Amino acid sequence: MNDLSTLITRLPNDVGGQPAGPLDRSEHELLPWEKRCHALADVLDFRKIINTEEKRRGVEALGSEQIGKLGYYERWIVAFANILFQKGLLTPAELAVRMQAVEERQRSSE
Amino acid sequence: MARDAERDGIFEVMETAVRELLTDKGLIAATDIRRQIEVLDSRSPALGAAVVARAWTDPAFKQRLLENGRMACEELGITFYDDTQLIVLENTNEVHNLVVCTLCSCYPRPVLGLPPDWYKLKPYRARAVYEPRQLLAEFGTVIPDDVEIRVSDSTAMVRFLILPQRPAGIDDLTTDQLAALVTRDAMIGVVRDLVPSGAVM
Amino acid sequence: MQTLSKVVHADREDPVFEPGDRVQIDDRQPIGHYRVPTYMRGKPATVIAAIRPTMVDNEAESFGRNAGSRRHYYRVFVPMTELWSDYRGTDNDGLYIEIFETWLKRAEP
Repeated sequence: MNDLSTLITRLPNDVGGQPAGPLDRSEHELLPWEKRCHALADVLDFRKIINTEEKRRGVEALGSEQIGKLGYYERWIVAFANILFQKGLLTPAELAVRMQAVEERQRSSE
Repeated sequence: MARDAERDGIFEVMETAVRELLTDKGLIAATDIRRQIEVLDSRSPALGAAVVARAWTDPAFKQRLLENGRMACEELGITFYDDTQLIVLENTNEVHNLVVCTLCSCYPRPVLGLPPDWYKLKPYRARAVYEPRQLLAEFGTVIPDDVEIRVSDSTAMVRFLILPQRPAGIDDLTTDQLAALVTRDAMIGVVRDLVPSGAVM
Repeated sequence: MQTLSKVVHADREDPVFEPGDRVQIDDRQPIGHYRVPTYMRGKPATVIAAIRPTMVDNEAESFGRNAGSRRHYYRVFVPMTELWSDYRGTDNDGLYIEIFETWLKRAEP
């Protein structure tokens, strides 16, 4: 199989059997936003807005570069945004405007 | 990965904005996230350990647990807030079980809480299905050659909990004392032998 | 209690495969999303159990379709030595995984 075929038919997360280095057994406590993000995933699932399989596919759809550079919950929140856009529940403009407002609010409370 | 306040900034802002917009649009309730955080905070390996200790001391419960893991956990008040099922895999003198999710990070969260970072990262996920014995050695776990390793790759709707073997020589402990011996890593399968004397593993 | 004998089961209510059946995992290579890892494609496997009840196809579910595709998942077993020609372990070591019915067919005898 050539490189392009592999690129489109092997998902970046499909790592079973691939060469990999030693384990890093360090563990980190979830940051508050990460825990909220995990809770959001569960709520989106049982509210039937974004189910868990949709989330998984959404993370895969970020593509190798984003998957490689973003952390675990960073991938989730970006995937949620993309899926909400696709479902017409949110628009990129709405999210962008609200993100600016959130940043402004945080800045002015510092 | 190093924590970087600036890097976290945009993702935290995004999470806040998404949550607020979904609430404003009435798609989620204002209390949903807070409530689910309480649910998550209440789930930890202590729940799985209680299930294991009960299985060790109540043969009829153990039978029900091996037949339908989710229903048996629900008997103890461990509700499953998603649609996953639970299969409990029993370690024996001849068989050692190990769990992985090669494609993502499927883990029995309702009964064990959130998974450790290493479970979600490539080295564990890539190597558990390919060289489990060498991987377990990095946890200090050596599986003898006359013990068969069964690696379960949980990619669908079933989650797994390993039922470790009860350590020998501890016949007069209470269920709570037994539960205190059961570690998260033993319920994932990266540890096989539980220490009977309460040493930390 | 005896099973009542005149009850006709709808199509797909009963598992197609039973414990001990030899099956073949398909070797198709989907573009985009899938839940059967590449290392399992095309492998012969032994059915351990049908998971009950029928459940939605997780690959369809990932595109928002969470109804109308309920079939069985099967827990299947493949020896490690069948998966990896250079496996460093014992011949008895095995891989267990749940596979949706639409990825399996009965193995040629």
